[in-house]
Amino acid sequence: MAELRVTRGGAQVILPFEPGCRLSEALKAHGIDLLQPCGGRGVCGKCAVVLSGQVSPPAPAERKAGVRLACQAVLTGDAEAILPESRPLQQIEMGDAGSLQPVAPMPGRYGAAVDIGTTTVVLSLYDLQTGACLAESGMLNPQSAVAADVMGRIGAAMAGESAGLRGQVTGAVSALLSRTCAEKGIGSEQVESMVVTGNTTMLYLLTGRNPAALSRAPFEADCLFDCTAELCGRKAYLPPCMHAFVGADITCAVLSSGMCGREETALLCDVGTNGELALWKDGKLLVTSTAAGPAFEGAGISCGCGSVAGAIDRVWVENGRLGVHTIAGAKAAGVCGSGLIDAVAAALVLGEVDETGAMEEEALTLAEDVRLLPGDIRAVQLAKAAIAAGVETLLETAGIRARAVDTFYIAGGFGSHMDVRSAAAIGLFPAVLTQRARVIGNAALTGAARLLLDKSLQEQARQIAASAAHVNLGGNPRFNQHYMDRMMFEQE
Amino acid sequence: MILEEISRNLQAGKARDVKALVQQAIDEGIPAQEILEKGLMDGMNVIGAKFSKNEVFVPEVLVAARAMNQGAQLLKPLLAEEGVKASGKVCIGTVEGDLHDIGKNLVRMMMEGKGLEVIDLGTDVSAETFVETAKNENCQIIACSALLTTTMGVMADVVKQAEAAGIRDRVKIMVGGAPVTEEFCRKIGADACTPDAATAANKALEFCLAAQ
Repeated sequence: MAELRVTRGGAQVILPFEPGCRLSEALKAHGIDLLQPCGGRGVCGKCAVVLSGQVSPPAPAERKAGVRLACQAVLTGDAEAILPESRPLQQIEMGDAGSLQPVAPMPGRYGAAVDIGTTTVVLSLYDLQTGACLAESGMLNPQSAVAADVMGRIGAAMAGESAGLRGQVTGAVSALLSRTCAEKGIGSEQVESMVVTGNTTMLYLLTGRNPAALSRAPFEADCLFDCTAELCGRKAYLPPCMHAFVGADITCAVLSSGMCGREETALLCDVGTNGELALWKDGKLLVTSTAAGPAFEGAGISCGCGSVAGAIDRVWVENGRLGVHTIAGAKAAGVCGSGLIDAVAAALVLGEVDETGAMEEEALTLAEDVRLLPGDIRAVQLAKAAIAAGVETLLETAGIRARAVDTFYIAGGFGSHMDVRSAAAIGLFPAVLTQRARVIGNAALTGAARLLLDKSLQEQARQIAASAAHVNLGGNPRFNQHYMDRMMFEQE
Repeated sequence: MILEEISRNLQAGKARDVKALVQQAIDEGIPAQEILEKGLMDGMNVIGAKFSKNEVFVPEVLVAARAMNQGAQLLKPLLAEEGVKASGKVCIGTVEGDLHDIGKNLVRMMMEGKGLEVIDLGTDVSAETFVETAKNENCQIIACSALLTTTMGVMADVVKQAEAAGIRDRVKIMVGGAPVTEEFCRKIGADACTPDAATAANKALEFCLAAQ
């Protein structure tokens, strides 16, 4: 046995281990899970550490990255590792349903609406007799430690980690339930019913289903839910998903927006790591999903961060210079998604970034210690092009132009915080939609709450999911053309 | 000089300017092959080298490739008239079960930038299709891409079927994509695994020239 001294934050521990294992394995054996979005392939750099002592020489991936990576470095004897501090919990977008009319509530005195996102899990506690929203709580999805993206988690589940992934998310739901109940002095056994929504992969992992069907083309889910499951010792209704990559969360968001009941043409967009889109026109619903990557969550951005105190969340042009605002008025420590979009929009106005995305200077200084680098602008281009090309392809499939859309619903946490004009200015969506935008917050959670308080809406959710036609973007030449065209910042 | 200007504008991704300059060069009587090699391909080479060194990123390459495509469209009929032959032929695709094609498209564009003829089989391509195409079209190279660990096994089938079809001695098999490693490449008996699109194009050209 050899010893590994681990420093994290202000704390230090000494862990025994068998020489010859990777650092990540030694840490995991003692319950320290590092974020490994790439699944330990040495690609993402998220598990970078400071390492000394008897260790292997840097692997090619480490030499390339210029840091030691826990997933690559092998411990050959006594060693010391300093780990970055764990990421502070991001501010989480709650539902904005507030209190609802209890039309035909699910059984019990109290109930919970839950949205399981890839990044965050959010729960609202309801009084089923009065329809009052009693408390809300959210936390980072603990599965993030296994992989940041759904594909990484699908891979882990197929590699035999299914039970662990399931335990992590049910543990999170239980914790949120206890927390909200404790806050209101309610015994959690009084919560008899739940509606649990989320993307298709999250519901697969929640119910312990084998997600093999989601792992390869043709990506046809072998279960779309719309069923009741036993969860944390109580009955939970899982609303219907529309497709392997357009889940129950989007069904709930569409339900909550009410767009399918109207005569007008409406577009709904949930911007996240995956951008999900739904277009309602002439009684038909077209849906799709487009992989934007994590740039809008601050990941892969040199000075990126979540929506924490000190994050620059607003940037504007003032007398030919940049003005910035930080969350909680704290000293600027990084830039979050909404600030990033503002910053790029402002840089375009000032001519600091040209229409191809090239920067005039070596860096764009937002504040002391917070600068955007050329690679950051490129990451924004990749992300926004994926969303914009998805919108374009969906509109084209429906045979309409953007100006034919009457209402543009923006759902989801990130979308609720971004400045719609800045988003249009960088070409995230067609500029003509700016005036028609309606920000609806965490509409998936709101939809779940509606289902909790009105069972009859289950039929409506079913109809929405059944009527949805999915448009495939992967390998779609039209999407690829739009993707390349939308990489630019010029407005066409 | 106008060819340098084409190269410079291509590197900056200025598609409209590239197109106008290529037309101007044609009007000035510069042979299409020279415009292609000293203008467009030169610009793409610079971008490719920078990409390999992490000095530029995917969007720049896509934007430059878009400019290259627009310029190349003007040259295509002229190159045919001049009887210019490609230095080699490649069939490329994303393997069966996988629909991710941004990386594959990058490699295709880089290869075209090297003057190779590329048959793009698209996504979700079966091992049979790769091998059949290589056989019928006399390709020197089969290039397979995969982004999912769940689908990279198809690449091993491509190697086996190429052997069974008796074309393995005249076709090089290149594999790539985020989960693909050199170790994997060796294990399945493929010929090359390159870390990025620009290196892939260089390697492909090298294979084709060696086969001539």
